[in-house]
Amino acid sequence: MDWLTEFHLANGHLIKPLVVGTLVSLACSVVGCFIILRRLSFLSDAIAHAMLAGVVGGYLLMKLLFGTEAHVGAMLLGALLAGVVTVGMVGFVTRVSRVKQDTAIGIMYTGIFALGAFAISMKSLGQYIHIDIYHFIVGSVISVGNSELWIAGLVTAFIVAVVMMFFRQLQLTSFDPVMAASIGVPVVAVDYLLTACTSLVVVSGVRIAGVILVVALVITPAASAYLLFDRLNRMIVAAAAIGIGCFWAGFFLAHAAGASPGPSIVITGTGFFLATLVFAPKYGLLVDWNRRRRAVPQEIKEDVLGAILRSEQEWVPINDVVRHIASNKPKIRRAIIHLIRQDLLDQKGTELRLTSQGRREGRRLLRAHRIWETYLDRMGTPANELHGQAHKLEHMNDEQTIDYLDDKLGHPLKDPHGSTIPEDFVDFEELSEVRSSLLREGFRAEIVRVEDVTLQDRLRPGAKVLGGPRSADGIRWSLITEDGATVELSHDQADAVFVHRVESEPA
Amino acid sequence: MSSSKSVSKPAIEVQNLTVSYGPVPALLDVSLAIPAGKLVGVIGPNGSGKSTLIKAILGFVKPDIGSVKILGEDVARVKGRVAYVPQRGSVDWDFPITVREVALMGRYGSKRWWQDMSKNDYALADRALQQVRMSEFSRRQIGQLSGGQQQRVFMARALAQDADILLLDEPFAGVDAATEGAILNVLTEARQKGKTMVVVHHDLETACEYFDLLILLKQRMFAFGSPEQVLEPELLSDVYEGKLRVFEALTNHTLEEVLQKGRLPGKEDGRSPE
Ligand SMILES: Nc1ncnc2c1ncn2[C@@H]1O[C@H](COP(=O)(O)OP(=O)(O)O)[C@@H](O)[C@H]1O
Ligand SMILES: [Mg+2]
Repeated sequence: MDWLTEFHLANGHLIKPLVVGTLVSLACSVVGCFIILRRLSFLSDAIAHAMLAGVVGGYLLMKLLFGTEAHVGAMLLGALLAGVVTVGMVGFVTRVSRVKQDTAIGIMYTGIFALGAFAISMKSLGQYIHIDIYHFIVGSVISVGNSELWIAGLVTAFIVAVVMMFFRQLQLTSFDPVMAASIGVPVVAVDYLLTACTSLVVVSGVRIAGVILVVALVITPAASAYLLFDRLNRMIVAAAAIGIGCFWAGFFLAHAAGASPGPSIVITGTGFFLATLVFAPKYGLLVDWNRRRRAVPQEIKEDVLGAILRSEQEWVPINDVVRHIASNKPKIRRAIIHLIRQDLLDQKGTELRLTSQGRREGRRLLRAHRIWETYLDRMGTPANELHGQAHKLEHMNDEQTIDYLDDKLGHPLKDPHGSTIPEDFVDFEELSEVRSSLLREGFRAEIVRVEDVTLQDRLRPGAKVLGGPRSADGIRWSLITEDGATVELSHDQADAVFVHRVESEPA
Repeated sequence: MSSSKSVSKPAIEVQNLTVSYGPVPALLDVSLAIPAGKLVGVIGPNGSGKSTLIKAILGFVKPDIGSVKILGEDVARVKGRVAYVPQRGSVDWDFPITVREVALMGRYGSKRWWQDMSKNDYALADRALQQVRMSEFSRRQIGQLSGGQQQRVFMARALAQDADILLLDEPFAGVDAATEGAILNVLTEARQKGKTMVVVHHDLETACEYFDLLILLKQRMFAFGSPEQVLEPELLSDVYEGKLRVFEALTNHTLEEVLQKGRLPGKEDGRSPE
């Protein structure tokens, strides 16, 4: 007990500010969580700016009507009223004019703040008003009295009770107000409740950080917690802890530096936020940067599959694979580990093999590469640049891109070097419906429907056909019907005949 | 097949509904009665008021005039009988909430504000996640899912709510073919249990295959009936104006072909053959 008594003797004047600050920081941070999730930061800012006018109004009213000095209740009420008017005016201006919300906010906040400052600075009114503008702007937590202690206690108890009792309602109206309404949550009442909570915490926060900085008490700890947690209940607890921690740190920093505590508390809060931004375990910049550095580029994985497929051996030594790829060894090794984990590669000792899934993926990439090569060739790219360019482009290999190119090129069978382009086996699955222009020679299919009337007498739905050879440099298709007749088709006609494949391997 | 206990009372009855956000009404004099146990599609161009209709049926937007009745009762008085799957674009995917917590929201309506969620509620939420095959992701934050998975989470929430009526706003937008099939399965299963569903849909080509009834909307209700009745070229070109030609170019089919296709035999999805 000795040190406590000692501390009390030496720092007794600090106890009240510390208790008030802890309570208010907690309440501000908790409400702040909902404020940032609903994108309402401007609400707390509006209420803070309106306070000067509100406090002055309340002060004057009491003084002139009843002749009493500064009445805390009247000042509070004035502040709340002024805040609500400001928010209402912002909404009104946005609605009735082409001025956008950010501008409306700028106009109304400054206007209402200036109104308060004007009244104070007036000689005729100013003599009645004993408000310390400096402390109003930077806060004055050191000099809190018993009434502030009571207010802080009540406000905090109220906020904590509301959030605990109505957690589900607050969560659901913030996340999905439409569903909230449909299960009978009074959405508008919850909105008002939250606005009231915001007013309360802002008004009590001004004593600590001043009108300009109070917003930071509300949103900064909540934003830090938002970067740290994926669940609302944890985010709220964390925000409260961060808010209180930053208050204490800032308070004693100011004490040590002989500075005003308000700015110092906000500085620690902002510092903590920036640190979170960098170091947060999941959403931090550092993790993000690390993840990107460690990620195996998709291109390298594709190159590995391509190298193994092209080698045309079953088991390929890892060193051979590495030699064929222009990238650093560790990256290639990581790519190989990834591919094994994805079940695209098998490893035995120092050799690798494609799994059936890996072979499929490799063939898909080979098809993409050769189609790009054909495309480049048609575009007039010099032969010695074909492979290099196609190698860059082949990483754009999503089905839609490749299907588009394939169709535009007239479904070529060979690439410019004379190698066969794998057929479109992705679309051409057994039982899925495709255009017959994808049917290669030797594949069997059943006709589903024919959209070209000139063909309908020769090709009927339900009939089995065999893909025949292409003629005229690959621009004429042929289908062989069951009775042995050959039907010649142009590209458009082949596109008008829909088939599904009936065997997985060519006959 | 769906039970026919309450044939007399439509599941959703909308009468002379007008809703506005400003000087121009988003919905004007819309009246319709949706029978129980039907899978109903809502089609219409962008901004035609489809989402607004859904929100009015949920009691979220207040009509300027007109009424919405759910199972014969005024919408303001019914609570939780209608489940809702929001449009993907209207959800805050960064919200600090996990897959399981979203599914649990389906149970919120069954509790008064002072009651805690029970073990049974968690079990129901988990079962709903199982039904849409999302159990293994239950601890994930919802932003860290693929588009199709995100859609399934909200389907699970609707299932957990165990409502008689489901409203889905563009559940098929931006999902891959596999997910589209999976969602459609859940819908047809729900219909077999006698649930009524209203689904906002953007693809005319599949609209005729998927739904029992279609609502064609553009501020006013242009048509309400079987797909064959609603997908009339004249009606559609009225509603879609020049945009229909774009649609034709995109799908490489003329409108007639699309409609033809919808009527093809062998495209049945459980509908009775009458
Ligand atoms: N919250 C809102 N405030 C103002 N206008 C809105 C709001 N929601 C929708 N609207 C307007 O109402 C009309 C219908 O919108 P909506 O129901 O979302 O159409 P859809 O879902 O068919 O695309 C549109 O013109 C839209 O701009
Ligand atoms: Mg919409």
